[in-house]
Amino acid sequence: MRFLRANTLVAKQIERSAASTPPRAWWIGIAAWAVPGLGHLLQKRWGRGLLLGSSVWGMFFVGLALGGHLFRVSGSDQGFSIILQALPMVANIGSGLLYIACWLTNTGFVEQAQRVTYEYGNTFLLVAGLLNYLAMLDAFDIAAGRKR
Amino acid sequence: MRHFFWMALFAALTSAVFGVVAKGSDRHRLMYGLKVFGEFLAVAFILGWILSFLPFR
Repeated sequence: MRFLRANTLVAKQIERSAASTPPRAWWIGIAAWAVPGLGHLLQKRWGRGLLLGSSVWGMFFVGLALGGHLFRVSGSDQGFSIILQALPMVANIGSGLLYIACWLTNTGFVEQAQRVTYEYGNTFLLVAGLLNYLAMLDAFDIAAGRKR
Repeated sequence: MRHFFWMALFAALTSAVFGVVAKGSDRHRLMYGLKVFGEFLAVAFILGWILSFLPFR
C-alpha cells in the first residue's frame, strides 16, 4: 500500500515537472538529437556544444572508416533476430540525422567482417549514438532550467 | 600499437562527453573527464594483461 502511494506521488511529480517544462526545451531536445552538439550551440554553450558535437561526429565517422556497420530491422528478420537487430538499431538512431542520411544513401549498412577493425567500428558507431542521447538529455535539462 | 591507438581515441572521445555532461564547476568536470579517461586506459591494460594468459590462440 505504501509502495503504491509512493508510486502515485512520483507519477504526480513527473506530471507536474513535464507540465512546467517550457516547449522550447522539447525543441532543443529534438535539435540536440538531430544534429549532435546543436542543442548546446542553440543555447550559446559554445564550448560544450563544440566538444560534444566534435566527439559524436568524430566517433561516427571514425566508426564508418573502421568498417563498422549500422543496424536496421529488415523484412527478413524473424523472431529473436528482430531483437538482436532492434536493440543496436536504437543505439545507432541516437546519432540523429547522421543515421538517417546513411539510411537514405544506403551507406554503412554493409557488414565488412573481414576487416580487422570491424568490431572497433561497430563499437564506435553504437557508442556515438548512445553518447548523443546523453548530450540530448543534457541540452534538454539546460533548456528546462534544471541544470546550468 | 594501432589497436591501442583506437582504444585510446575511443576513451578520449567518450570521456570528453562524460566530462561535459557531468555536474559541477568547469574544473570539476575537467578533472572528472581526465579521471574517466585514465580509468578506461587502466582497465584496458589490466584486462589485456589478464587475457594474455588465457590460451585463446
